[in-house]
Amino acid sequence: MSEIKVVTNILQTNDEITAKNKKILDEKRIYVVNLMSSPGSGKTSILEKVIAKLKNEIKIAVIEGDIYTTKDAERIEAQGIPVVQINTGGACHLDGDMIKNSLDSLNLDNMDLLVIENVGNLVCPAEFEIGEDIKISVLSTTEGNDKPLKYPLMFEKSGVVILNKIDLLPFTNFNKEEFYKDIKSLNANAVTFETNCIKDEGIDEFCSWLKDKVVEKRK
Amino acid sequence: MHEVSIIENTIKIVQEKAEENNLKNVSKITIKIGQLSGVMPESLEFAFQGMSKGTIVEDAKLFIEKVDAKAMCDDCNITFEIDHFNKLCPNCNKFATNILSGYELYVSTIEGE
Repeated sequence: MSEIKVVTNILQTNDEITAKNKKILDEKRIYVVNLMSSPGSGKTSILEKVIAKLKNEIKIAVIEGDIYTTKDAERIEAQGIPVVQINTGGACHLDGDMIKNSLDSLNLDNMDLLVIENVGNLVCPAEFEIGEDIKISVLSTTEGNDKPLKYPLMFEKSGVVILNKIDLLPFTNFNKEEFYKDIKSLNANAVTFETNCIKDEGIDEFCSWLKDKVVEKRK
Repeated sequence: MHEVSIIENTIKIVQEKAEENNLKNVSKITIKIGQLSGVMPESLEFAFQGMSKGTIVEDAKLFIEKVDAKAMCDDCNITFEIDHFNKLCPNCNKFATNILSGYELYVSTIEGE
């Protein structure tokens, strides 16, 4: 009985499709964001603010991942930009194949920034590459500052971490010092922002950072 | 994690490799899993027991080998062990971005006849 070397990545099917997606998106020089967080932390609210602020300067499109509904996609559509809804029908994350199908229904020649809003979940979305340039994760103050250490992979892999609902800070026991210490231990190079979508706090700063990235990729 | 779909993919990969090598049954499968990958070996065992039935790998023993997470400090040129919460170079204390291992998730070898 002989041993046969296999050495095949178990997620290779996803990786192969994702590599193809990435190639197409890179050729069109579209900056791609994989936006992740737990449900209710404010991904869609931040996105609405970003779109309102930047839609006259850059061409934005959105892919909305949701298990069952089109609620988020309707909110984005109201902003007057192209949006594709993916209903995963129970699956807890988006994968390369779902993105591939969505790209077919978007006009990639008329796009500078593609935001893919993942399914609200702090675990699984972090494990699947979907062709993004950057992973951005959102944590809201009401969730507690212990979450980065409890769900390390997502925060470890994110190039940007946004702390949202900063206006609610006085009503929670969220410890910002510990939060930043933990983020630093997981991912010392993560860029961080603090936002509040009710009063537009921190949105300008985040938009300015994002626009620079989009412009850099267009060059 | 997605232990069921991981096992589903594993069985598919093993079936293809077994066919390629004219194996009638597979007795041993070794998969490698990095410490940082977020995959639970116990759940993989459980999924394997359920999903291997009626396939070429039904009688195979699944070996799960863990791969230590290691990084390299590009300044000091040394390699050291890391985990999610500590990626600092033991020599200069700088955060290591050059991660050498820890995210593995692959089928390593199979045995059969």
